[in-house]
Amino acid sequence: MGKKGWFLVMAMLLVLTTACSGANSGGNSGTSADGKVKLRIAWWGSDTRHEYTQKVVDLYKQKNPNVTIDVEYASFDDYWKKLAPQAAANQLPDIVQMDISYISQYAKNGQLEDLAPYLNQKIQVADVTENVLKTGVIAGKQYGIPTGVNVLGFQYDPALLKKAGIDKIPDNWTWDQYKELALKAASNKVHFDSSMVADIFFHYYLRTHGKSLYNAEGTGLGYDDDKLFVDFFSSMADLIKKEATPSPEVMNQTKGIIEESDIVKEKGIGVWQWSNQYVGLQQVVNRPMALAPMFGPNMEKGIYMQPTMYWAVASHSQVKDEAAKFIDFWMNDVEANKLIKGERGVPISAKIKEAVAAELSEPTKQVFDFVASMEPKASPMSPPPPVGSPEVIATLTDYIEQVNFGQMTAEDAAVKFRADANTILANNKQ
Amino acid sequence: MSLRNHQSLRANMTGYAFISPFIVGFLAFTLIPMFISLYLSFTSYNLFTPPKWIGLGNFEKMFTADPKYWNSIRVTFTYVLVGVPLRLIFALFVAMILNTKSRMVGTYRTMYYLPSIIGGSVAVSIMWRNIFSNEGIVNSLLLALGATPVKWFGDPNASLAMLITLSVWQFGSSMLIFLAGLKNISVEMYEASSVDGASPVRKFFSITLPLLSPIILFNLIMQTISAFMTFVPAYVISKGEGGPMDGTMLHSLYLFRQAFMFSNMGYAAAMAWVMLIMIAILTAILFITSKYWVFYETEKGR
Repeated sequence: MGKKGWFLVMAMLLVLTTACSGANSGGNSGTSADGKVKLRIAWWGSDTRHEYTQKVVDLYKQKNPNVTIDVEYASFDDYWKKLAPQAAANQLPDIVQMDISYISQYAKNGQLEDLAPYLNQKIQVADVTENVLKTGVIAGKQYGIPTGVNVLGFQYDPALLKKAGIDKIPDNWTWDQYKELALKAASNKVHFDSSMVADIFFHYYLRTHGKSLYNAEGTGLGYDDDKLFVDFFSSMADLIKKEATPSPEVMNQTKGIIEESDIVKEKGIGVWQWSNQYVGLQQVVNRPMALAPMFGPNMEKGIYMQPTMYWAVASHSQVKDEAAKFIDFWMNDVEANKLIKGERGVPISAKIKEAVAAELSEPTKQVFDFVASMEPKASPMSPPPPVGSPEVIATLTDYIEQVNFGQMTAEDAAVKFRADANTILANNKQ
Repeated sequence: MSLRNHQSLRANMTGYAFISPFIVGFLAFTLIPMFISLYLSFTSYNLFTPPKWIGLGNFEKMFTADPKYWNSIRVTFTYVLVGVPLRLIFALFVAMILNTKSRMVGTYRTMYYLPSIIGGSVAVSIMWRNIFSNEGIVNSLLLALGATPVKWFGDPNASLAMLITLSVWQFGSSMLIFLAGLKNISVEMYEASSVDGASPVRKFFSITLPLLSPIILFNLIMQTISAFMTFVPAYVISKGEGGPMDGTMLHSLYLFRQAFMFSNMGYAAAMAWVMLIMIAILTAILFITSKYWVFYETEKGR
């Protein structure tokens, strides 16, 4: 091989190594001269979600032949691991699915576009209630469009409730009534529920008292009285001790394995969770189930419509108009929503809600009805969790675990949590 | 440049061309990231805003203000100091059995090595979790025998022990190396000792162990280093939370949480460097002490 040959080898190696770094860039999306538009869209979820989302994407491409769409999807954990480096390199996909716990971080760091100028231009929102649309507003800007809404509630098996000696969940039930019923179930050797996720339900409890978990600026906790913490979590620990809910050992072992949960094995009456989780649970339980509202007092102050997730547009996107058009299509196209079937929460457009009603499965219909009955009662959502909230939540979860295992008193946990949370959140002070 | 130099450069081009993928890869994916991570360990960095220099702040927090860090160190050292010796003893034990002459030995060797091939994988961890789940095989057996089932991964005291057992079970690679070592010990030594009337125990301690000691050292160092970096089983079995009660919060898992869940990249980088130094010190100790217990035939039995 002569000189030329070696030159060729070196050149090829050079191409090879640069190709490695170039493959991930993908930053060259944009409108080219021939009117072709290239969109990138990313979401997380289960296989069913990937399947129908791909169908919606295909439908959009079919109706807009000049658009090509690259999709990126992953599980929740992997999604955020992938997104963070992309954001750091200013290479976010044009349309990104955002979670409520992350949207502040991405918005405040300038990664997302304010969509307010697109409303009623590219994105039609005439059929959306103000309360719902506002949940995408962070620091005065519309950084996200909710894909659908959720509301907290009790999802249970009525037959098992009867077996535990309880006729029905009382209308307008209270925190005290809940504890009473739970203990009654315990005396009949059935778990009433599988406890409550610490941060979500403590936040609900605080809201019924007119407080919130974080202050409005996101620089500290949103409540001053540690008694609220102690009341809520010592009650929880007490219900565990009296076997109204499973022991922390069992909870730890079954965590994330829905097939092993009490309600599936007919050992537990119900689960406290978001309404969009009902359909999945119902499928596994495979017996008639029902939804009940949260307990009071002041249930109306406590509940709120929470976006299941958001669609957001990257601030570095070259094709923001097309991205906005796709979001509009997702929100307002009947055909698309017949594919989506409310899987990303109850649609926020009233018209779409009506249009797809006939297409829904029984459990999905239950969810739509439940959310519809709660929507007029709900209060506005607290601001989305601030930057640092994942760490605050992890800290809270740790302390509550120690309380539930009987290794720490709720009083100690309240003080320690306040100190830790305020240290983490103090970073948000300007 | 003289003609001669020029020619030798041309002659060496082949070599450079062939090693360039490695060199480029090493620079781009190992050396440069290492220096960047060293720099980041002195900063506060959340991936979104530029890193902010905070000097020794991360290290200060780690050593004085983060009890969870010390917990993760405690858990990791327990995992390594208990797990590695157990694993090596077990590997040696199995290797000695498989060193005997029997017809099925080939099959057995393959079977015992299998868990290690798939060892680090997610699938094994999930399987392990299922075997010991509330209604898994182990608990069903216990129930059938009339014993009370155990919450293997739910009990703060049992969960780390479960992780260690899993690591002991993945003994295949060290076993294979031991097996090769055992094959190298000449049969004459054993025969001679038999003539002298040595018992099997005596043979083991006076012949097998000393002649195997270089291999033990090699396995000990390799296994210690890899044990310190264990991540997958703890992540999968505890669903990424290191629970219950932080009982399985290995250092690598805590580092991962700091980096990718809390976006504390600077802090995570600092943790990684401290761990690197700890592993280096421990390896150095193993090397230094080895001259008192490792026996090399070539050195005329020093």
